[in-house]
Amino acid sequence: MILKADNISKTFFRNTGSANYFYAVSSMSLEVPSGSVTVLTGRSGSGKTTLLNMLAGILEPTKGKVLLDDTDLYSLKDDELSRFRNKRIGVVPQGRSAVDTLTVMENILLPAKLYEKTAPAEEARQRMDDFEIDHLADAMPRELSGGELRRMAIIRALVQNPDVLFADEPTGDLDDENTEKVLSALSSFAHDQKKAVFIVTHENDALKYADRIFRMEKGQIDLQENQSGESV
Amino acid sequence: MSVKNLKRKPGRTIALVLLTAFLALAVFGGSVVVLSLRNGLQSLEARLGADIILVPSEAQSKVSFQNMFLQGTTGAFYMDASVTEKALEVPGVEKAAPQVFLASLKADCCSIKIQVIGIDPEKDFTVQPWIARSLTGELGDLEVAVGCKVEADIGEIIRIYEQRCKVIARLEPTGTGLDTAVYCNMDTMNKLLAAAEAKGISHKITSDDDSVVSAVYIKVKDGYDIDTVNTALTGKLRKVTAVRTRSMITGVSDSLAGVSRTVTTMIVVIWVLAFIILLLSYVMIIRERSREFAVLRVLGASRKMLGRMALLESAACGLMGGILGVIVAAVGVFAFASLIESSLGLPYLMPVFSTVLLLAIGTILLSIAVSAAASALSAWRLSRVNPGTALREGN
Amino acid sequence: MKKQMIPGCVMLVLALVISIGSLTFLSPCIHEDGSVGACWWAGRALLGLGCLLGVLALLTLVSGRARFGTYLSSIAVCILGILTPGTLISMCRMSSMHCRAVMQPAMIILFSVSALAAVIGVLLSGKGKA
Repeated sequence: MILKADNISKTFFRNTGSANYFYAVSSMSLEVPSGSVTVLTGRSGSGKTTLLNMLAGILEPTKGKVLLDDTDLYSLKDDELSRFRNKRIGVVPQGRSAVDTLTVMENILLPAKLYEKTAPAEEARQRMDDFEIDHLADAMPRELSGGELRRMAIIRALVQNPDVLFADEPTGDLDDENTEKVLSALSSFAHDQKKAVFIVTHENDALKYADRIFRMEKGQIDLQENQSGESV
Repeated sequence: MSVKNLKRKPGRTIALVLLTAFLALAVFGGSVVVLSLRNGLQSLEARLGADIILVPSEAQSKVSFQNMFLQGTTGAFYMDASVTEKALEVPGVEKAAPQVFLASLKADCCSIKIQVIGIDPEKDFTVQPWIARSLTGELGDLEVAVGCKVEADIGEIIRIYEQRCKVIARLEPTGTGLDTAVYCNMDTMNKLLAAAEAKGISHKITSDDDSVVSAVYIKVKDGYDIDTVNTALTGKLRKVTAVRTRSMITGVSDSLAGVSRTVTTMIVVIWVLAFIILLLSYVMIIRERSREFAVLRVLGASRKMLGRMALLESAACGLMGGILGVIVAAVGVFAFASLIESSLGLPYLMPVFSTVLLLAIGTILLSIAVSAAASALSAWRLSRVNPGTALREGN
Repeated sequence: MKKQMIPGCVMLVLALVISIGSLTFLSPCIHEDGSVGACWWAGRALLGLGCLLGVLALLTLVSGRARFGTYLSSIAVCILGILTPGTLISMCRMSSMHCRAVMQPAMIILFSVSALAAVIGVLLSGKGKA
């Protein structure tokens, strides 16, 4: 299983400035293979999130294709793509991503419930226990701290059990101990279950778990680092 | 999911429900009133089955004859009983039915005056068919039939001028002044008149003649022009005014048209205003909810699912609002029917239950439709929300 | 303000409307000559019941301990209020009279809504104890 980006670029329109549009991501290709953790770093505004959204099938690129195995994501109809993403692509979005009207448990089981009647409640409990938010299962999101919400979003993506998991600043609101826990959980998800994990971050904590590191600047992938001793 | 959304945002839900309830209330209440007025007019037409009514000239000014019919005010006026026979001699007159009116003293049976109407079952063709629907057989001596607004049970004895009259029938509502009257035959009426005389309430026109009538209902033969007959009657009979029932009905239907125009205008204004408010609230909700919908998109919900969810929620609000509005309006309109009737001063007859039920269902469906329509734009916008950008804006 | 006190507030407002209404816009019939019928006594009874309901409503607001029982007895008062005009004390003979057209339906509605508030009050204040 491999996710490939083929020459994708994204331009946004702007009302100010001399040029009326700019490249958030200029033409680039990359691959995200299963069984590995890929980390994308870079300063804010460098286009990291835009790239992640395009890879995750949420944001259609201006040019280029995104392929998961043989499926061209953006050639699918909305219904098909939505279902496809629900089954195979997990996303931990940046910032607060809880649905306010659902409890923490309902939020975590939401991806499963969108298309099916049954939901992996047992696994969800286990994960919540691991991340120490098991006592919050019936709480409403507004009662949770930023760090607890972050962990909830990560559990939601893990329980969804996708082939590719995207995480946008997964350790943003977390203390050191929880940062370690989350990153090692993502790492074991990639290595033990042979899934692809793609992390976007501007912090350095994630780097030591990375099999491959991309650095992004001004819409370009600037540098590629391979961690020694790990196969790509 | 939709249910949870509604339940866990009670403020938003209640506001939307109340808004639609207000719409439903206006529509349901307004239409029941208008329908009741129409019914009342039809019923009035049916009960005024005569073409011409002869009343003493003094009745036109003294106690407005029309008010008796429309609002049930009491009145008594008399003319010589021979008017009936004389009227039948006029060419073109097919039937002539006399009636005698008497206003009870309020101290007698009730806390207010009641209009007593004596009819001649042999000749009567206007009130008799209506009475026949509630009474098999005939009104006997000292037996009365009461209009639906007179609180008296069948078998009960009511006292009119010290005469004990037995209630043997309660009549169907007509929405007109006829509902507040008590009906008896001519023999009973003559006894009552005599009893009234004893109490010092005189009905006599001349000191020696006992036989009087208050109004004579005329049916004109087919083929004769009503106006011509009318003129002939006025010419022949002295001190008698011939009233064309058409003119009474036209008067009523004119005021009815006025009232229903006002009600309709009010309903339309309320709807336009409330629809705009609903539309604005849903548009405002777009901002509030775009993040929520973006998250759902990210988790793999399709546009169709989101659109359906947004529409379902607003339809549910419409349903609840519609039901609430109909209930409140029904309580108001039915509990205060007599108040509405007396303040309008027009014949007012509630539609039958099935019509009301149909109206209620229609109103609720309409509320759902309007609620869904008002949210359609916002549902569309929300389902197209761009998850990438929407999630960023929230940070 | 506690949740259990909201029905009490509603009841208090309704009791005021009932009491003041029975003397003014929801009054029974008074005839031109000043005489009165049965409905007038119904109006008196309703005034008394309205005041009683008001006192009970105040009690639910003041005393937390007695709240459950007070709501419970308010229901009984409201039922009496619903039955008073027409059922227990007769109204005028003619349904177009003020007592039948206005006082009776309005009082029945007001007492019914109060009864509903009292039932909600019972449910809310009973929950805490169970």
